[in-house]
Amino acid sequence: MMGLLEWILNLLLSPWLFVPLIYPGLISAFAVLLFIIWLERKLAAKVQLRYGPLYVLKQLGGVIQLVADLLRYLSAEPIVPDQADRLAFIFGPILLFASSYMATVAIPISYNFYAFRSEISLLVVLALTAMAPVFNLVIGWGSNNKFGLIGGLREGFLITADEIPLFVSALAMAILYGTMDLVRMVELQSRWLWGIVLNPLAAITFFVLMLLSTSRFPFEIVEAESEIVMGPFTEYSGILYGLTMGASYVKLYVLSLLFAILFLGGWEPLPPLEFPGSWLILPAAVLFLKALVMMCLSVFMRSVYPRYRIDQALRLAWHYLFPASILSVFLSFVVLMGWFI
Amino acid sequence: MTDRRWASPVFRLKGHLDAILTGAKYLVMPRATVRYPEEVIELPEGYRGFIAYMKDLCISCGLCATVCPANAMKMYVERPESGGEAPAEGAKPKRRPGINYTRCIFCGFCVDVCPTGALEHVETHDVAYEDFDSMIYPPGEFAAGPPKPEFERPPRRLRPVMDERRGIAYEPAD
Repeated sequence: MMGLLEWILNLLLSPWLFVPLIYPGLISAFAVLLFIIWLERKLAAKVQLRYGPLYVLKQLGGVIQLVADLLRYLSAEPIVPDQADRLAFIFGPILLFASSYMATVAIPISYNFYAFRSEISLLVVLALTAMAPVFNLVIGWGSNNKFGLIGGLREGFLITADEIPLFVSALAMAILYGTMDLVRMVELQSRWLWGIVLNPLAAITFFVLMLLSTSRFPFEIVEAESEIVMGPFTEYSGILYGLTMGASYVKLYVLSLLFAILFLGGWEPLPPLEFPGSWLILPAAVLFLKALVMMCLSVFMRSVYPRYRIDQALRLAWHYLFPASILSVFLSFVVLMGWFI
Repeated sequence: MTDRRWASPVFRLKGHLDAILTGAKYLVMPRATVRYPEEVIELPEGYRGFIAYMKDLCISCGLCATVCPANAMKMYVERPESGGEAPAEGAKPKRRPGINYTRCIFCGFCVDVCPTGALEHVETHDVAYEDFDSMIYPPGEFAAGPPKPEFERPPRRLRPVMDERRGIAYEPAD
């Protein structure tokens, strides 16, 4: 009996199961999802001087509100419209959610705890996150709804506008560190300085593009509730709608983890504490805290900004952020030259 | 965008920073709303809530039913079998007002027009009903007094006061 328990514990704690399944993978992605949506509503309420969600677990300010919402989604009937493309309609949200959180497998937790270490793990994360918006297009087309189609088209415009500068500003950091290996990046930052100090331009560009690609305010253009109902997700109900709504938050979570590794020194500096399991819990907690700060900042934008028009967002992306990301590449070269001279 | 300074990207970046800082400032400001079922705001004098009916003062003139713009007030012929008083020997049965709160708009015309002051507003305004039928009050029930809201615990009463900095603030009423 004890042998079996030990075997299961060892299996769970093995990196190639722990990373995709527990942290930073599926379970923590769900936990973050439930927490961050509550936090978004609470922050918006606080800025507007009101209370926000309160009555589900009142002692903690309604923190499990989203559990109640999830139960509602689970018990609601997912309706598939007659004219919709059934295959795309049903599998779209599932693949959208899956591809949003899939990139977590390439994110390391500490120097010796990762699902896999690769020379190009930065590219793997970026490529997997860039896959998700394609399913928005599929959903928008498959649901056979004019709002869905318009939302899908908007997503199409925005993918090209945000993913290219996002890649360029991430690659600026890769040039600066001389590697695309995320573990090595953290190692180098602990020896030099945090990336946000070395190349602030890339950090700002990356942050704004993070908002753009996860459709946070002011770039909540794809859903745009007051214009096109819910964009590609108009026809959805039940748990399928829950998945479509959660996907952008999970993508935000993945990109925040990436931001923490690229610019905020990853799991460094570690607090000097010793307790059983500290080799795993401490770096995971530090990395998570940094990502959480970035997520809070992102969802806080909802209470500050109105929504941009699609042309304003595209102008911002192509006229300002794309040149800024190219400039950040040059800044990386300048910093590197300054370092070696 | 008439201000020419907005053409400069630096000025616009400053605008974004100002917006975020303003949001942060409001984030730490105290809230302007109250937790309603636990805390209630004390109502001002002359508040037009539910209507109380004093049957003894009523002279059955029917002005309230005539003036009612929403047709919520209606005169009923009072019969002994429906809980009313039996008419005196040889007299016609009396007519009494009843009210339908699904229609009432709380304008207070009936209170104003009543020549004997038999109708009066009370402060109650927050009663939940399970169905529409229970919102209709024939004369007998109408005379029994206005409904009372049910709270789980007695709520804290707050009084709104003007505040120089925040605009509105609340202090305990008792």
